[in-house]
Amino acid sequence: MIRTIKPKNARSKRALAKKEAKLVENTKSALFVPGATGNKLLHDAMVDLMALKKPFVKKFSKKNEIRPFEDYSELEFFAEKNDTSLMVFSTHNKKRPNTLIFSRFFNFKVYDMIELSILPNHKLLQDFKKLTFTLGLKPMFVFNGPLFDSHPVYQHLKSLFLDFYRGEETDLQDVAGLQYIIALSAGELDDNSSDKNLPPLHFRVYKLKTFRSGQKLPRVEIDEIGPRFDFKIGRRISPSEEIEKQANERPKQLQAKVKKNVSTDFMGDKVAQIHVGKQDLGKLQTRKMKGLKARYDQDSDFDEENDQDFDDHNDGMDSDIEYDAPQPKKQKV
Amino acid sequence: MSEEKEYKSVTVDKPIPTTFDLGNLATFDPNPLDNSKLKNENEREAYLTATTRDNVQLLINQILSLPVKTTTDSQVSSTGQNATMTLIQLPEPITQLPREKPIPKAKPPTKWEQFAARKGIKAKTKDGKMVYDEATGQWVPKWGYKGKNKELDNQWLVEVEDKVKNTEDELIDPRSLSRADRKKLIKKNELQHKRNVKNASS
Repeated sequence: MIRTIKPKNARSKRALAKKEAKLVENTKSALFVPGATGNKLLHDAMVDLMALKKPFVKKFSKKNEIRPFEDYSELEFFAEKNDTSLMVFSTHNKKRPNTLIFSRFFNFKVYDMIELSILPNHKLLQDFKKLTFTLGLKPMFVFNGPLFDSHPVYQHLKSLFLDFYRGEETDLQDVAGLQYIIALSAGELDDNSSDKNLPPLHFRVYKLKTFRSGQKLPRVEIDEIGPRFDFKIGRRISPSEEIEKQANERPKQLQAKVKKNVSTDFMGDKVAQIHVGKQDLGKLQTRKMKGLKARYDQDSDFDEENDQDFDDHNDGMDSDIEYDAPQPKKQKV
Repeated sequence: MSEEKEYKSVTVDKPIPTTFDLGNLATFDPNPLDNSKLKNENEREAYLTATTRDNVQLLINQILSLPVKTTTDSQVSSTGQNATMTLIQLPEPITQLPREKPIPKAKPPTKWEQFAARKGIKAKTKDGKMVYDEATGQWVPKWGYKGKNKELDNQWLVEVEDKVKNTEDELIDPRSLSRADRKKLIKKNELQHKRNVKNASS
């Protein structure tokens, strides 16, 4: 027999069902894993990044001897075990100091991975001493710079941070919940900038403040609340074409059906074309009168003869051939 | 009025218009940033904040002009007070983001479902678990505890069925026979289920 993992009780059954692939997916959760060489700064940075992502986070406290760019099988194991598809791993060495490795997983396999090293001018949440984050709010995103539309590395970063922090997917947004702004900025490519020397990514978090403007729309001001990181971009693993295609598929069931023949005109009225089936006039209810009832129909024999005579006269003008065969019984009216 | 002058403007002019993904509350500004300002330690923060503020203003302008839905659902139910909430109806997100897991595949049809499809058999309409018992005038479950299918089990007198007559089963208690029949059906169903699961996985 094949071995199927069969949950022994209702709780484990629910837990397994939660892990299964779904049509409408849950919010991606992130796992923060300290590497063997992680230091205080990286720990604090991870705590800050985690504060923004809460409650969809898990954190490991023990250090792990892993080199993700050489062998990421262990990260895949962590992802599967914890059902997290986002992961941040910290390493620090002389060549790549204070590095965070952001990886995404698709079906518990590494989808893409990018190495971001924190540059010295960072400022942590505790240095701002402003406030903590309210749990589970959807932040707004601002991407400054044309590179996010054109350069593959920055497109990767855009997709990564949107995926990481966008939170719950919803079609209704509370106005009071519009509070935080995550701003990612990148300067322009220099003439001498190669793949190894890309302009750094500026990661800033602001709080929104609105003021009266005399109009309906408010005047917006922003206040930096941290954390503040400038990231130097390092190594990168991009998804293979096949996996990328698979991961970006949209389920057919969720795609909106196109309604034919329905449109709205310039007044905002719904205009539609209706196709009515062919009407059978024989069954049309005309005026109800006693004399028209079926049982008052005259006897068939006499009627038919009369009809035939009448038809023959008519047909003489067009063609006789068609009516050579015996006439089918005429329907009584 | 003099008050109007105090207010700062809510409009922002950009050489290249920004694009929005309102489903994700995101805005993308394709205007290039000044590298010299970004490299200068003193100017950088002010420059980034100013650029971001402009873009946030544009984003907020867009978001607040979306259709609004007001509900009376209370956010905090512990107080028992109903406060109205203004909710903005967001459009579908535009930016393609990878899924977490592949799209679930449809379950392969069982052997019965294949057969039913071939013969054009429609699924029975579910008419509930309970059935009316004429004898007692009560509604009883069709199966399970005190189910209708266990009727014979507790009778003091049970007719011997015609098909059992003149066979070796004739002398066996018909009550236990009906129980054995039921158990057999369950076994058979389990076997069919296992076979379907096996076919589905291979």
